[in-house]
Order: sequence, then structure tokens, then C-alpha cells
Amino acid sequence: MELFLQRLFDGLSQGSVYSLIALGLVIIYRGTGHLNFAQGEMALFCTYVVYQCGEWGIPLGIALPIGMLVGFVMGATVEVTLIRPIAKKSQFAVFIVTLGLFQFLNWLDGAIWKDQPLPNSGVGSSQQSFPSLFPNKPDDFVNVFGAAIKIQSIGVFALVIVLTGLLFLLFNRTKLGLSMNAVASNAESAKLVGIRTNLVLMMSWGIAAAIGALGGVVFAGINSNVNLGLMFSVFIYASAAATLGGFDSPGGAVLGGLIIGVIENMAAGYSDEWIGQELKVGVALVVILVVLLVKPSGLFGTAKVERV
Amino acid sequence: MKTIATIKSGGTASWAIRLVTAAVVVYLMFWIPTSASNGMIDSCITALTLMAAAMSLNLLLGYTGLISIGHSAFFGIGAYTTGILVSRYGWSPFQTLAVAFVIAFVVGALVSLPALRIKGVYLALVTLALGLVFPQLVKAQKLEWLTGGARGLDKTGFRFTKDNPTYEIFGWNPWGSLRGENVKPFHYWIAMIIVIGVYLVCRGVVKSRAGRSMIAIRDNETAAAVMGVNLAITKALVFGLSAALCALPGSLSAIRTGNVTPDSTNITVQGAITFLIVMVVGGAGSLWGPIIGAGLFVFITELTGDWSDPDQIPGIIRPLFSWSNTPPGSGIFAILLIVLMFVAPFGIVGMWRRLVARFVTVTPRPAGTGTIESVVSAPAEA
Repeated sequence: MELFLQRLFDGLSQGSVYSLIALGLVIIYRGTGHLNFAQGEMALFCTYVVYQCGEWGIPLGIALPIGMLVGFVMGATVEVTLIRPIAKKSQFAVFIVTLGLFQFLNWLDGAIWKDQPLPNSGVGSSQQSFPSLFPNKPDDFVNVFGAAIKIQSIGVFALVIVLTGLLFLLFNRTKLGLSMNAVASNAESAKLVGIRTNLVLMMSWGIAAAIGALGGVVFAGINSNVNLGLMFSVFIYASAAATLGGFDSPGGAVLGGLIIGVIENMAAGYSDEWIGQELKVGVALVVILVVLLVKPSGLFGTAKVERV
Repeated sequence: MKTIATIKSGGTASWAIRLVTAAVVVYLMFWIPTSASNGMIDSCITALTLMAAAMSLNLLLGYTGLISIGHSAFFGIGAYTTGILVSRYGWSPFQTLAVAFVIAFVVGALVSLPALRIKGVYLALVTLALGLVFPQLVKAQKLEWLTGGARGLDKTGFRFTKDNPTYEIFGWNPWGSLRGENVKPFHYWIAMIIVIGVYLVCRGVVKSRAGRSMIAIRDNETAAAVMGVNLAITKALVFGLSAALCALPGSLSAIRTGNVTPDSTNITVQGAITFLIVMVVGGAGSLWGPIIGAGLFVFITELTGDWSDPDQIPGIIRPLFSWSNTPPGSGIFAILLIVLMFVAPFGIVGMWRRLVARFVTVTPRPAGTGTIESVVSAPAEA
């Protein structure tokens, strides 16, 4: 029971990170139907910015908003300068551009924050220690039914819940959010009724990147370091989460992220011999495959009707 | 722009151009192992490895329109098959190529089964996950007896003795005699043979009935099905073939470096992304695209490799790159990729074709006779 609770909370806190990145993916996907392969690397760049602020002596409380602001500006700029013009050509071109952005940002991070040549695998190279958002000393535990739960896990989980609530308000109670919903459901009609779709799309990318930045900072905090390969696996878990929740459902993405986090930790914990820490990325592969084959629209997504 | 020349396809001028190109290519092919420096031969082998991998991906993505960011897994299957058979069971490296081909074909065809239902970027997600899983799988403790775990395998290449008599052909050693006991030309020739083989297979497939089915699937799947293309079988076979061809350069890398580790560049996802970027920069959906892209990629990375030292950067662009200690190769290539998507979606080859078309008019042979080459290449140029 204790072990179970511990794994549950570890899973929830990791899943929270996946939820954040997945939320970014979903917000962009809803608006334009594009999958942003650079989402993880955009978040990583902002995480490095926050790290740099820390090096300059700026406290995390101020550095985090700075990082998110950088993310917002970057996301909005990318949408306006790269994605919007290329989207007119083809879906494939957008995919390639986001992939190019992925490669470019990964190189840029390495070029700015690291002295060695780009690593072969990207994983495990030059790690910089990173401060955690929540207390994370060896004795920062809360006792729940006999299980020692890290305060950090609870904090991260609570953060995601609060953020989801805020986003819910944004989507349903503000003019911007309602316009985003309108553009998501039918861009053409939204334009006809006077919604400035371009502005909405720009804002979606900005918000997505800002949320991603938060996710990156939280994840770096959990790992207590930031490195070039930090976001590789997070991105695939987040994609699995978005697939599971449905690519056009923000609530689904959050729930999907939490579910994936818990499954991953349970699988690694209880099937130590077969799955363990090494093969838990296989969980993402299996989830993506099963969802796409059985229910391609995910748990909460709307099924697409295709006309030929 | 005025047309400067008109060339008849299959005419004298056309054949003259082809002959000159072929002569230059063949000359270079022999010049490199015999006269170039060791470092350059090494870069060429790297480029050849990348070419073969990018060509195999081109078959899948460029011609059939199925996105894969997991080809590093098939590359890894090739490397590990060779590695395991050579180091654990003492096979000769050449024999393992065939086994690697077959294993990768089967795995590729199996992976394609879900691909029959999954489309577009979702397929990219599935293959990306596959690419991430593979290095973890070979690292897994349960498989350590076979794959060597995180340390990988060593002694996976040819074992050379001082006067290596084993690889002579009727007393003549075509590779060794080019450069004494040096093994680099030998590896170069293996790489060259693999690249030529992969090229010929790709060319054969693309210009055949199967190739036309693939292009039809890429351009309009529904229409292709209506026209009688068997979607499931075509996709599965292309996926299998592409995976199998990608395993060959994987085997080559094991033979060449003499060891296989789960962290080597081309086995991780970074490798799959490199294959894809190289192919798109060169020109997706054209036979020469991956070759030119891979050549350019290795050229740029080699050229900028020592730019971590600001003094090595040429004067004019020094301020641009001197701020970082990281060689800017992959960054430059990423920017090139993004810029190319805007100005030339069909890559360097597409740009070249457009440029040539401005000045030279190529009149195709009258329809109904000769090859159908011009008909096939038409949609790619549009």
C-alpha cells in the first residue's frame, strides 16, 4: 500500500509534466491541425533561459515568469514567421519545418549553454543543476497512510490542477478563449463572424509555448538538472497523452498525461524485471499504437468525419 | 529567361551529358580511395552510410508519402545483427548483410501493419516512439547476454592480420593493393557497393509498376485504390524494403567501426532525424536527392567541425559563429532545411531541375515509344 501510494504520486507528478507539454500540443492542434514537433525543444530553450536567470542571481519566482514570457514570444513569432506562410503549401511542409526547428533549437541550446561538440545521443551530456519549484530536500516528505510522499510531487500535481482550472476559465469565460474554441471548430465560419483568426492562432502558439516552458521548468526541477536530451522522452510521453485524451481536447490531454505518468511508473515499478526503468518508454509506444488502432479520436476527442 | 538550348531526350546531346556525368562520378569513385587523404576517405564512408540510409527512407517518405522518424531502429537492427553474428557466433561480416536484410525486412513489414490504418503525422508519432524504444530495448538487462547491454558489442568488424590474405580474389587484392595494409579503402569499397546496390534497387522499384503504385498512393490514396492499387500489400512491402535497405548501412557501420553501442548517433532518434533532414534537403522523391543531401551534410559538418576554435573560422563570417564553442554544422543545416522548405520544397534537386528548365528545354520522346521515364518524373517536378 505504501509503495503503491508512493508510485501513484510519483506517477502523478511526472504525469503532470506530460500533461503540460500535451496541453501545448493540443492547443496548437486545435487551432491549426498541426502537430508541433518542436514543442519539447521550445520548452527546453525556455528552461535553459530560466537556468541562466538563476545563474545571474534572479530568484526562481521571477525567473519562471521570464521564461514563460520568452516562451510566449517565441511561440507567437514562430507561428507568424514560419508556420503561417508554410501552412499554405502543405501539411508535410509544416511537419518538416517543425522538425527543422527541433534540430535548430537543440543545436542552439547546446551552442549557448555548453562548451563541447554536440553529443551523439543528446542524452546524459553536460548536465546543469537546476533548482526545484518546490521544497525537495531529503526530508521534505508528507506522511499519507504511512507512505512518504514528496512535497514536490504534491506541489507539481496541485500546480497542474490549478493551471487546468485557469485554462478552463480562459477557454470558457474569456473572449480570447471563446474565439479559440470558435476557430478550433470551424476556422472559416469564425473568420466570417469577425473573429481575428490570425491573432487567435498567434495567441494559441504563444500560450502553448508558455505552458510548455512551465512544464520544462517543472520537469527540470524534478530531475534537478537540465540537459540537451531532457525533452526527448517527455515529448513522446506527451504525444501519447494527447493521443489518449484526444488531440482536440485540453481536458483529455491533462487526464491523458496523468494516466500515462501513473501507468509508466506502475509498469516500471511492478514489472521491475521485464520493463523496469529502461523499457518504460515502451509504454508510450504501446499506448499510442493501441489508441490509434482502437479509438483514433482518443477518449475525449471528436471523431473526424472524412469526406472524399 | 530565354531558352538557351533544346535537348532531345535520348538524342546525342542527352547521351553526351550522361556519359560525361558518369565518367566524372566513376573517376571520383576511384580517385577517393587511391589518392585522397585518410581523413577524407573516412568522411566519404560516413557520407556513403548516410546516403544509403537516406535513400531507403526516400523510398518510404519521398515516393510513398509514409512518414517515418524511426528509421534509426532499422539502422540499429542492421548494426546489431552484424554485431551479434560476428562477435558472438564468429560469422564473416559479409554473410551477415543478408541476414540483416531479411530480419529488417520482416520487422519493417510487421511495423507497417498498424501503418495501414494510421496516417500522416500520427504515423510519425508511432515511428518516433519506435525509434526511442529501440536503443532502450538493446540496453535492457534481459537482453544483455545477446546485445551486450549499455556497453554494446565490440570486435564486430573484419579482423585484419598484417598481410591479410583472407580477402584476396585469385591472389589479387583489389582493396588492399590500392593502399597497402590500410583498411579504410577496403571499408570504402564495401560502403560504395552497398550504396550502388541500394541505388539500383531504389531505381528499379521506382521506375517499375510498383513505383507508380507508390507515387499514386502518395499523391492520392483513394484514387490509387480506385485504380486498382492494393494499398495494404504495397505499403507493407515498401515499408519492409525500406527497413531492409536501411539495415545495410547499419551493418556497414558495425563492420567499419568494429563496435556497436546503443548510444552511437545513427542508432538513436537523432540519427533518424538526420536521415530525414538529409533526404528532404537533397530532394524528397528524387533518386539523386538523398545522395546530394548526404554529401552536403557531411561536407558542412566536416567543414565546420573545427570551428569551435574561432581562429579556424574564415574571416568574413567569424563574428557570426565565434560566440560559441559548439561546431555550427547541425544548426546551419537546420536553417538550410527551413529556408529550403520556403524556396524549394523539392530540395536541391528540385531547385536544380527548375533552374535547368529555365535555360534548357528537354523535349521528351514521343509518347508510346521508349521508356516512360518522362511520364513518371512529371508529377515530382510540378
